Amino acid sequence: MRYVLAYLKPYRKWMGLAWCFMFIELAVELWQPLLMAKIIDDGVMKNNLPLIWKWGAVMIAISLLAFAAGIANSFVAAYVGQQYGFSLRKHLFEKIQSFSLSHFEQFSTASLITRMTNDVTQMQNMVFMSLRIMLRAPLLIIFGVIMALVVQAKLALILMVLVPLLLLFLIWMMQKAATLFSRVQQTLDRVNSIMRENIANMRLIKALVRSTYEQHRFTQENEALMARTMTVSRFLETITPVLLFFMNAAIVVILFIGRSEIQTGTVKAGEVVAVINYTTRMTAALSIFTFVTMAFSRARASGRRIAEIFATTVDVTDEAGAGEAAIERGEIQFEHVSFRYPGSESFVLQDVSFSIRAQETVAILGETGAGKSSLLQLIPRLYDVTEGMIQIDGIDIRQWKQAQLRAAIGFVPQDLLLFSGTIRDNICFGMDTVPEAEMVRAAKDAQIHDTIMTFPQQYDTVVGQKGVTLSGGQKQRVSIARVLIRQPKILLLDDSTSALDVKTEARLLQALKAYACTTLIVTQKISTAMEADMILLLKDGNLLAKGTHQQLLNTNGLYRKMVESQLGKKGLSDVKAAT
Amino acid sequence: MLKPRHSKMVAISKETKRTAKENIQTLKRIWTFLSDQKVGLVFVIVLVMASSGLSLLGPYLVGKAIDRYIVTKQAHGFAALVSALLLIYLALSLSLFLQNYWMIGIAQKTVYSLRTQLFQHFHQLPISFFTRRQSGELMSRLTNDIDNMSQTFNSTVIQVVSSALTLIGAIVVMLSLSPLLTAVTLLIVPMMFGGMRWITNQTQKRFREQQQNLGELNGLIEEVLSGQKVVKLFSQERAMIDRFLQKNEQLKQSGFWAQTYSGFIPKLMNVLNNLSFSLIAGVGGIFAFKGMVSIGVIVIFTEYARQFTRPLNDLANQWNTLLSALAGAERVFDILDERKEEDDEQEAIHLPTIRGEVEFQDVSFSYDQKQDAVRHVSFSVARGETVALVGPTGVGKTTIIQLLTRFYDPDQGQILIDGYDVRQIKRASLRRQMAFVLQDVFLFQGTIRENIRYGRLDATDEEVVEAAKWANAHSFIMKLPNGYDTVLQQDGGGISQGQKQLLAIARAMIARPAILILDEATSNIDTVTELAIQEALARLMNNRTCFVIAHRLNTVQHADRILVLREGTVVEQGTHDSLLKENGFYYELYHRQFTQEVM
Repeated sequence: MRYVLAYLKPYRKWMGLAWCFMFIELAVELWQPLLMAKIIDDGVMKNNLPLIWKWGAVMIAISLLAFAAGIANSFVAAYVGQQYGFSLRKHLFEKIQSFSLSHFEQFSTASLITRMTNDVTQMQNMVFMSLRIMLRAPLLIIFGVIMALVVQAKLALILMVLVPLLLLFLIWMMQKAATLFSRVQQTLDRVNSIMRENIANMRLIKALVRSTYEQHRFTQENEALMARTMTVSRFLETITPVLLFFMNAAIVVILFIGRSEIQTGTVKAGEVVAVINYTTRMTAALSIFTFVTMAFSRARASGRRIAEIFATTVDVTDEAGAGEAAIERGEIQFEHVSFRYPGSESFVLQDVSFSIRAQETVAILGETGAGKSSLLQLIPRLYDVTEGMIQIDGIDIRQWKQAQLRAAIGFVPQDLLLFSGTIRDNICFGMDTVPEAEMVRAAKDAQIHDTIMTFPQQYDTVVGQKGVTLSGGQKQRVSIARVLIRQPKILLLDDSTSALDVKTEARLLQALKAYACTTLIVTQKISTAMEADMILLLKDGNLLAKGTHQQLLNTNGLYRKMVESQLGKKGLSDVKAAT
Repeated sequence: MLKPRHSKMVAISKETKRTAKENIQTLKRIWTFLSDQKVGLVFVIVLVMASSGLSLLGPYLVGKAIDRYIVTKQAHGFAALVSALLLIYLALSLSLFLQNYWMIGIAQKTVYSLRTQLFQHFHQLPISFFTRRQSGELMSRLTNDIDNMSQTFNSTVIQVVSSALTLIGAIVVMLSLSPLLTAVTLLIVPMMFGGMRWITNQTQKRFREQQQNLGELNGLIEEVLSGQKVVKLFSQERAMIDRFLQKNEQLKQSGFWAQTYSGFIPKLMNVLNNLSFSLIAGVGGIFAFKGMVSIGVIVIFTEYARQFTRPLNDLANQWNTLLSALAGAERVFDILDERKEEDDEQEAIHLPTIRGEVEFQDVSFSYDQKQDAVRHVSFSVARGETVALVGPTGVGKTTIIQLLTRFYDPDQGQILIDGYDVRQIKRASLRRQMAFVLQDVFLFQGTIRENIRYGRLDATDEEVVEAAKWANAHSFIMKLPNGYDTVLQQDGGGISQGQKQLLAIARAMIARPAILILDEATSNIDTVTELAIQEALARLMNNRTCFVIAHRLNTVQHADRILVLREGTVVEQGTHDSLLKENGFYYELYHRQFTQEVM
């Protein structure tokens, strides 16, 4: 929390100013009952009309003063709140942009998004409010008691005793409510998740005739939700009546004491009126208190979540002496590389060694979870190796600058990520100016040009949330065009052609041959692997075998099995016959 | 309970534009939900009236007490008045508590029944509804809207009613005490309305602007963070930060003005409170000096003035909350108004067991009445036959399955099962005899046992295990920490894609269907699991009528018959070998794929 509030520092003076304005307002409000007491005791009771006029005018004047202070406070508080939100978002975003992918997994993208949006808004509101009412309610209560004591200590004694007790009661209730609330939230999550499941899978539920069953499941959770919501709401609703009763009872006590003291002449009528008036003002402030504590605890949780991000140390960084030179050849060498994801116990890659000459094509085969994608991700340093070393052109990749390294690598990840914008924006992503011809060439090689030309807007077709939805295969090809346009020295394809039909895929692979780059292809298709200069067969993170198709077919059982399962026995014998 | 007022303002500007007529209609509709609880509601309203009256009575008596016992020092009746006051305050607190207690009950029951109705309605909607609507959007809408309604019912209704009552009551009592001082007090009302109006005019457009900027910023955040991998791979971090800062700056600008102006509202209320207090003290003092009012009346007026600026403020705030909840309610009702799936025909029969003979007679169907998804499709399938549907994407394979399961009815022609037109069979009875193994396996949050038993709810534990064994799922299940009692997370998180498939097979196995529908998974399953799946499928398909939407040559080759589809029509049918000999479309499809694979 302290970490997050540190971003308020530049605005300390402004905050002080806002608080000054708030104090003026508060002072006026606290002064008013006192002035009324004067009007009654010195004016009405003593038949002094000019005095009534005088103090009445003063009251109106200070009311207007308070208003002016309030308006000024609005400006300053909004300024501080917005500046704070702005700088918090800015620093958060910059921090997150420096994260490596492992941090994204650690936090999950969805949670990072909530932290950047909801949590920041929550903090921003808290700052705004604390410059306005948050401090005001407690201050009004404290100074209310003090002022009442100043006016007439005998009458205000009851408040001295009662108000702290009520505050304790409030805090206790709020703490209990917090635990009840979290249970409601859990149940609500369950209800919503059943709804989500049902909406998403209605086809199957209907097909299996399971509506009644699902409704039963839903009803159970829904009932629990109703019961728990009722409990917590009812619990909270006891607060106001209790507060109100005791504060009202205090008024009765004040009247009671006031009457007996008036008999002896130590207390004046106006003083009774003033103390009663302070009491009612405090009652209103007390009920704001519940809201203030709730907002605070929410903001505290948000602050904690944001602080976690700031507290994270970035793991993938440029080394001090990293060279500026660009990668020229594109030779890749893995030397005893082992890797496990940060925070995970088990290795996904173990002691993997191989070397690839420049402009070779290598296929990586293996079961799901064998470590294929992990292996690719290590090359552009999306993660750093845990043990061993990866070299490109004979230099440890940690010695390259990240920007230089990645500029030479064209990586098409398995999950297809396009940004909203036109197809042109997406293909030319991150390039300053690109000649039209180059873009078209990349699109043609990626076998997407013809498809694009069928769209009414062609390359200016907007894709993403607000535009047309591309099919998986189309997205794959745009992603490929996006890396081809950069003429990479190293091309990494992570199962990026899975959604393409056989014909298109073949044309694509053919077109890739024109590029002078080292290519690594993760694939499930034997037909693709067969074309490679070398095949790497991974199993459980180990490099099981490497060699050409023919070598593996002769020496490796698993590879044989894979070929059989995809091509059938017949296919296999055809292959044998062909070779 | 006080709620964060400012945050509510954001949602308001859009909602206030709805017409009064629409709102009244929605209100009427909500009333039908509430009307089950008329008695309770009447009770609450009586209590609200009581508490409003009592909250006026208290200060009134305090004022009287000051006049009689503080200012003039009378002797009689003080004890009685004090005890009366205490009783009134006790009654006030009690009635406040009780009205809230009951109202919460009513509100939550209403929300409960609304949720239940909605959920039930989902199950009665035709499947086209879910295809039309994006499930994410639907969900967020429902959860937010219902939650909003729940909050609003809980407190807003009471607040609005009691504010209005208190307002009227306060004015009546004030008028009876001193019309002149009342007039002075009411001076602030036009100021209040004028001020509020000015502020709302200022804030509305600024809030809209802020909302839009916030939306854009959040959109950017979401996109960049979700696409972080690509951002990194292309070293675009700096560019993204620049884009972000630009939007962030815009948000700051619009946010500043929106927040400043909306910040004026409480300040305005404050100054009006203070002004009315000053006016009452000053003018009241002069009146008292002239003997027109007593000091007690001044006290009463200061309290009442507070009691009615607050309700006016509340009314303004709550009104907006109410309107946005109404808009939410309307969206929920929109869904409830969606047309249900057509009922089974009156004379539809119940078919306890079917043999599994399927016949399509000249079936045509179109989703949009424009383009036929399938056209003049005819074929018949004997019991126990395995039929593979083959063809490029979008040729109508899925449509045929949807027609068979009666998610849609054909526009033309008929589908017969065991010689009955499917429209003559009750939907539930028909679907109960079918089982599905689909690409995206539906696993819900629950244990593995429950997920398998989903296929047939009365299956015993032994049957579950047996089905799992047949489906080659038993061994991996036993390796899980809690075996069959392992709780799967949402969408079956925690187990692999292949294992999900095995569970789906077990689930189909336990259902003992007459007709089986398979939509093969395409990729991303490792070879070993793939073999296990194929073996399990073979067991499952044994002796059952099977429809297979095939993507792989392997399955197709083993099918008893292959239906080759092209643009919504069946162009060829026969076995793998006979079709190859025909040298037609299938031959082309097959060889295109096959030669690619061997070359």
